[in-house]
Amino acid sequence: MKKISRRRFVEGTSVGIVAVAAIPEIKAQEKPASTLPRVPRTAIRINVNGVDHRVDVEDRWTLVELLRDHLELTGTKIGCDRGECGACTVLVDGTPLYSCSQLAVWMNGRSIQTVEGLAKNGKLDPLQEAFIEHDAPQCGYCTSGQLMIAKALLMKNARPTRDEVRTAMTGNLCRCSNYNHYVEAVMAASGSTPSTGGGNAA
Amino acid sequence: MTPLKTVGHATHRIDALQRVTGGAKYTSDVHLPGMLYARVLRSPHPHARIRKIDLSKAMALPGVKAILTHENCDTTWSSGDQLGQRRLFNNPVRFAGDPVAAIAAVDRHVAEDATHLIEVDYEVLPFLTDLEEALKPGAVAIHEGGNLSLNNQRQPAPQTYKRGNVADGLKAADRVFEDNFTSAHHNNAQLEMRVSVAEWSGDKLTVHAATQGIANCRTDIARDLKISEDNVRVISEYMGGGFGNKNQCQDSDLMAAMLAKQAGAPVKLEFTRKEDFVAVHGRWSSRQSYKVGVKNDGTLTAIQMTALTGAGAYRKGSCDLSGTEIYQVPNLETSVSPVYTNTAVAANYRAPAYPQSVFGIESLMDDVAYALKMDPMEFRLKNMTRKFRDQTPYTSIGLEDCIRKGAEKFEWKKRWNPVPGSGAGPVKRGAGMAMGMFGSGLGRSSAVVRLDGQGQYYVHVGVTDVGTAAKTTMGLIAAEELGIPLEKVKVVWGDTDTCPYSVGESGSRTTVQTGMAVIEAVRDLKKQIAEKGAPKGNEILTAMATTNPPQLQGQSRNSFAAHFAEVEVNVETGHAIVTRFVSAHDSGRVVNPLTAQSQVQGGASQGIGMALHEELLYDKRSGLPLNAGYYGARIMTHLDAPLVDVVWVETDEPYGPFGAKTLGEPTIIPTVAAVANAIYNAIGRRVKSLPITRDKILGVLA
Amino acid sequence: MKAFSNVNPKDLKEATGVLRQKGRSATIVGGGSDALGMVKERLITPDVLVSLKSIRGLDQVKEQKGEVVIGGLITLDALSRDPLIRKNYNVLAEAAAHVGTPQIRNAGTLAGNVCQRPWCWYYRNGFPCYKNGGNTCFSITGENEFHAIFGGGPSFIVHPSDTAPALVALDAKFRIVGPSGERTIAAADFFKLPSDNPARENVLANDEVLAEIHLPAAKAGARSAYHKEMDREAWTHAVVSVAVVMEMDGQVCKTARVVLGGVAPIPWRVPKVEAMLAGKRITPELAAQAGAAAVEGARPLAKNQYKVPLTQAVVKQTLVKLGG
Repeated sequence: MKKISRRRFVEGTSVGIVAVAAIPEIKAQEKPASTLPRVPRTAIRINVNGVDHRVDVEDRWTLVELLRDHLELTGTKIGCDRGECGACTVLVDGTPLYSCSQLAVWMNGRSIQTVEGLAKNGKLDPLQEAFIEHDAPQCGYCTSGQLMIAKALLMKNARPTRDEVRTAMTGNLCRCSNYNHYVEAVMAASGSTPSTGGGNAA
Repeated sequence: MTPLKTVGHATHRIDALQRVTGGAKYTSDVHLPGMLYARVLRSPHPHARIRKIDLSKAMALPGVKAILTHENCDTTWSSGDQLGQRRLFNNPVRFAGDPVAAIAAVDRHVAEDATHLIEVDYEVLPFLTDLEEALKPGAVAIHEGGNLSLNNQRQPAPQTYKRGNVADGLKAADRVFEDNFTSAHHNNAQLEMRVSVAEWSGDKLTVHAATQGIANCRTDIARDLKISEDNVRVISEYMGGGFGNKNQCQDSDLMAAMLAKQAGAPVKLEFTRKEDFVAVHGRWSSRQSYKVGVKNDGTLTAIQMTALTGAGAYRKGSCDLSGTEIYQVPNLETSVSPVYTNTAVAANYRAPAYPQSVFGIESLMDDVAYALKMDPMEFRLKNMTRKFRDQTPYTSIGLEDCIRKGAEKFEWKKRWNPVPGSGAGPVKRGAGMAMGMFGSGLGRSSAVVRLDGQGQYYVHVGVTDVGTAAKTTMGLIAAEELGIPLEKVKVVWGDTDTCPYSVGESGSRTTVQTGMAVIEAVRDLKKQIAEKGAPKGNEILTAMATTNPPQLQGQSRNSFAAHFAEVEVNVETGHAIVTRFVSAHDSGRVVNPLTAQSQVQGGASQGIGMALHEELLYDKRSGLPLNAGYYGARIMTHLDAPLVDVVWVETDEPYGPFGAKTLGEPTIIPTVAAVANAIYNAIGRRVKSLPITRDKILGVLA
Repeated sequence: MKAFSNVNPKDLKEATGVLRQKGRSATIVGGGSDALGMVKERLITPDVLVSLKSIRGLDQVKEQKGEVVIGGLITLDALSRDPLIRKNYNVLAEAAAHVGTPQIRNAGTLAGNVCQRPWCWYYRNGFPCYKNGGNTCFSITGENEFHAIFGGGPSFIVHPSDTAPALVALDAKFRIVGPSGERTIAAADFFKLPSDNPARENVLANDEVLAEIHLPAAKAGARSAYHKEMDREAWTHAVVSVAVVMEMDGQVCKTARVVLGGVAPIPWRVPKVEAMLAGKRITPELAAQAGAAAVEGARPLAKNQYKVPLTQAVVKQTLVKLGG
């Protein structure tokens, strides 16, 4: 086991060591032409979490790509980019959609809510608090999507049953499979009687 | 067991706030100035030699900045194959999905467009998709030396274990049972796709990696790029699961680094979901054959297992099968032959060698119990392991309590049918159980603990937290040993520049191994405080520990579990669903019951998916995968997941941090067999091949 | 994705005009999810996406001269919740409610669901099969677990839509709009067997849009249901499904429509079963006989034999539930 130098941790710098072996030789590649070909673009107006944006988007950008790569809202995650997992769920005019399966240009004039828009004035949404309380996120990658679909549910049905929760959230996979805790958390956030959440039991 | 102040109490994850606000920065959230995007071109053929690659059209596409192929990059990916047989770009390519080129461009669309402009001339070679075909004489050799992968002694021979004499044991038996079981290759399918971000600053390389072990990732990158470890920094502050497919370094880390060097700019290399399924790895498939000898009173006299496991195109994992160790039996012989095929590679997925082999042995033992007219639970209580490999005492073992208490919670007597299949139908209910165990060895790891002049404690650990709440666990252990509340401890993680070596979150070792390092570092810090007094002003006291784990003096340290499943099967439609599930676990002291419960419930649902749905299916004639992705794999949804009741059996374990034993992986080990046994109990017929899909259920009922 | 431009026509005339002008380099988009998925996989590589989202008024449910007229762009969610549809055409509401997931139903349209391309994994993985412009079907000697047991040949796909069997069972009519006019045809005539043309699943030309679905006035005493068997509890296409519409007179079934999904390249009507039920009380025995009749003439492939008993069970169980 290599002995760890005390100095490196306190200073956070690395101590130079020995001779550095050369990186494998890579042949230089030719430089490509400097301009990109014309990719169709459209100017759109979009409101995200209450903030208006005017953006010039490539027609082929998905909504999630616009949010993550161009509006610096990386809270929405991409799990598959094919509408098969739900991680990218956002609310579009209050309706939950897979943001990987919608083009940014189709969102012109629409109002988007993402996970970053859940907390209001620094106060967490009851769903966020319940997710922390009931240990809903494990790795956390599906969590943003689970929050948004749960938010959409509670906006329509303030006191869902366990089965209504599971049915409403069916389009959001969790591979850590923390389903029981997610359901428990949503039930708690809705103010329903605390239940053990989830299950197909008779 | 004496209750503790902090450890053992339900505690929220210390990073839960970041995870629920979108504030947690995962690797794909990293954006660096001037960053390029990269994609990989992969072989469309299962086996082919590359004659020629024409990059001219791709290079001419505006926005393309760098391309790697086997012609300009011969880097070995050492953790991609245990025998060193694998490069980043291989020629010949050995599975559909083997990388052929990596392209960095100004954005991901250009990079993707460029992959379609690369022209490759392949000489298509014969290929293999079947394990038995691969072992026949004359089969095309996927690697030099043939398709039986070399074993730990570098010989083309199976991996074997033997105690006693099985031939004698079978002769001594009153009855001998034989059967065969198969399991499919299936995927980890974690939500975070593979992504690496690499940036050079002079000779110093920083890789933002989605990894389960920053220290190992760094060591591997340095080794494979032939640069000094001190010039490699690996950062992974949040990562979105892996279940074993993000150990060590990934080929994407190396490719991103080399593209970044060539292009003179940071590079983010992204895999698609399909690539994650096909080109990373999954759990090895298996064909298992058993012979079991037993006395009329149910005592086991012999177990023999011979098996083939599917390594895929490279030897990335152990490809072993370890399920038989849960039984006490004087004569045991196992022989496992990992076999190459031109299909997706197999390596670690949550208890890699276990749930599929426990499915095999526990299905057969269930049949033995029924044949002897014994309750399967009683049969297991009679024959369960009492010493590791029947000779080494366990440091602690709560397997019997797992079985008894789990059965009680599950209401086994009420739910189990003494006559399988005897329900009225068409919807029939049944109950099944299985047991399991997993090694929880002590091992080396490191931690640093600091105290500053304001009374703030810092715990530096090289954990990334795959979802297990490792950061919180380390904090709790430190707080307990320090005798202070968790809020007074700040855990520092996820960066090799500020965190010492950690064994990495694989093999379920972090709690035990890095946890012990935390304890030892705290003890050292307390000694320093006693000697020098508490720090003041700008002073900082630092304590480091690298554990030197005690030899266990002829003892074996393991976790144990028993799972119970109830299923409903519609015998007319073949539809099966788990309606009730109980997981009973002995992992010593449970450090954080809240997050530990998440682990157990999660592992069970993953296991149910493995039992009922998941398989990466190949078209035999073309050697191409057909259903890679979440839809094709039929990953469990909210509606598929039952309520999982968790029963803790907290044995008094003398070693480990406050007596904690491993937990993450045992949670899936008995699950698959429990579901399979429940289906048998419901319908009276056994499906011996995973996944147990509708067509197979209807097939055995026909 | 390969670059494309998105156009937002203001009405169907403009939309179909663009389709005619651009030919195969244009694709229409209703909800968008299916189209985008295919573009990402490069199964199609259009230069132009013609988005119908911008067209107003194509998503309503209206009563009109005794018929119910449904705009093709209604979302599956809205359709499944529509009170008139739920009351009088329950099979269609149930079918719509079973498509995908809530998020998919919030975007996906009725017309899009009806016109959906197959989910055969050979097709979706770009094998050079009939559906991809080739001249073979790989499922015949390959992995055909989910392929057709009726009506197959030369292609053995199954039609992936849930709403299509329901619409055939309801004797719906489809109003198709093209650049030079429109036509209205029976739902059953919309879908085409591969023996007609293995490359396509329906009669829609490249420049046509399924604009409206017309349902005949609900008969008194009508009851209907859709049953879908899936290999997960949600989010997959039907392994086998059935849409049943019965016109009841007290306890007697006057007429019945029974249409299977997941078993054939088109929604598969079973006239023999319909004839067996006409004028009878639906007893468990009759339902069992109907189930057996439903699978007569099935021609399973090597790996989908299980669909035969499954279909039989699904028909029987649905008739018992609906008719009892």
